[in-house]
Amino acid sequence: MLRKVSIAIGTLLLVGLLAVGGCQLTQLKASQPSDSAKWEQIEEPAIAVDKKAIINGGEFNKFFPTADGYDRVYTQEKNGFAEAKLNQNGNTLAMLSVSDTASNPNAALKYQNSERALAGYPLVEVGSTATSLLVAERIQVKVLSRDTDFTPADREAWLEKFDLTGLAQLIN
Amino acid sequence: MSKSIFKLVYVLPLNNLTVFALRSLDKILPGEWENIVGFENTIRQVTGESDTALIEQIGARAIQLYNDKSEGYQRAMWLYQTIDSTGRALGQAALAGKVTENVPFLSIVNRLTPKPEKAQTIDLCMKLVTEIVAFCKINGIPGDSVGDFVKALGDYGGESLVRMAALVCFDGLVPLGPNFIKQTEQVLGNLTPKDLDSNPAFKAIKEAVPGRKTADQLTFIGASFESVKGWMGNFVESKGITPQSVAANLKTFVDIADDKMDYFGAFLDISTNYYEHTGVQTLARRLVERAVAEI
Repeated sequence: MLRKVSIAIGTLLLVGLLAVGGCQLTQLKASQPSDSAKWEQIEEPAIAVDKKAIINGGEFNKFFPTADGYDRVYTQEKNGFAEAKLNQNGNTLAMLSVSDTASNPNAALKYQNSERALAGYPLVEVGSTATSLLVAERIQVKVLSRDTDFTPADREAWLEKFDLTGLAQLIN
Repeated sequence: MSKSIFKLVYVLPLNNLTVFALRSLDKILPGEWENIVGFENTIRQVTGESDTALIEQIGARAIQLYNDKSEGYQRAMWLYQTIDSTGRALGQAALAGKVTENVPFLSIVNRLTPKPEKAQTIDLCMKLVTEIVAFCKINGIPGDSVGDFVKALGDYGGESLVRMAALVCFDGLVPLGPNFIKQTEQVLGNLTPKDLDSNPAFKAIKEAVPGRKTADQLTFIGASFESVKGWMGNFVESKGITPQSVAANLKTFVDIADDKMDYFGAFLDISTNYYEHTGVQTLARRLVERAVAEI
């Protein structure tokens, strides 16, 4: 009997805690700036693209680079997109990715003003962590640093390790 | 349309029992999980970028990808949300059983409630299936070989790893005891398609479970458990986790008045939605990772 009573009390205590937790939550939320409203303004309807024309991400896999001492772990394969982690000793150094800009035409525009090239393809730096190039005016190859020791020079070196010719042949 | 991803990640609680429960796993997986709330915050953390214009560009693409139903992200979100709501229903039924024991007029409730152990075992399996199906909806099937895919599955970290740890602890060890793997195998071995069709967790996500008939789906569930049981066993053994140690870690946050484990498991079921909470975080992370690479 005593045990049953203690269970009942325990339930009340826990339910009480739940209610208190809920109140605290409301207070915390109220003090947070709303980033939700901002995103509502930014949200845009999807641009109409011909989905059937988009190259499947699986087509890109075989052109990804690898090297001794590094571990390549594929992480995503979606329509028009493939990505892999570049790991070394269990630490993620960078993300390697290939995407078909047919699914996001705006992405290709930034190369129009590019003043640099790598392996004959226009090259741009995006933000402080990414470097990318555009193959055959359509396929974007991007390397993104995920470790502070992985420098822009490292990113360019890994961009060159992709089979860029193979990727270009997907278009021609 | 369902809620947009930026809203889902914005309304994640900073402190509630789910967060307390997940934080209690820090003793098992030190530093693995941080409760990242807010869309902009997620973008900053995942990409390491701080330029506002760039963050907005990444966010806009991530939102666009999530909103496109054919991309599968909304389906994954539905799975994470649905399996947690059935968990809560199961927990409420189990708790009703505990509280109403020896109360004759409510004994009918007990008869309508599935036997907690069997239901709990199926619930555990359905959460595993949810994880596998949601993984494929979010990430596709990465790589060109089975080995690549297994490697991708094994690359769990952050909130995904903590979700799996929570599954082992809160839906395995605590309610079913230290032999939960063997017990689940036994239950699965005797399970009929009819049993499965009458289970609320299965019914809720049946349409998303691979297989044309319930019998095929049962085979898929068995295979899913078979493929993950080794990892679960190693995890429990290597970390030295027991039902008691899980409960003891939670005592830091919640004063558990009684250590009756099945009762405690039922309580966790009612009061937490760790699949949905960490599922939102996984989705947001993966969307941002893709968006920053695609813009």
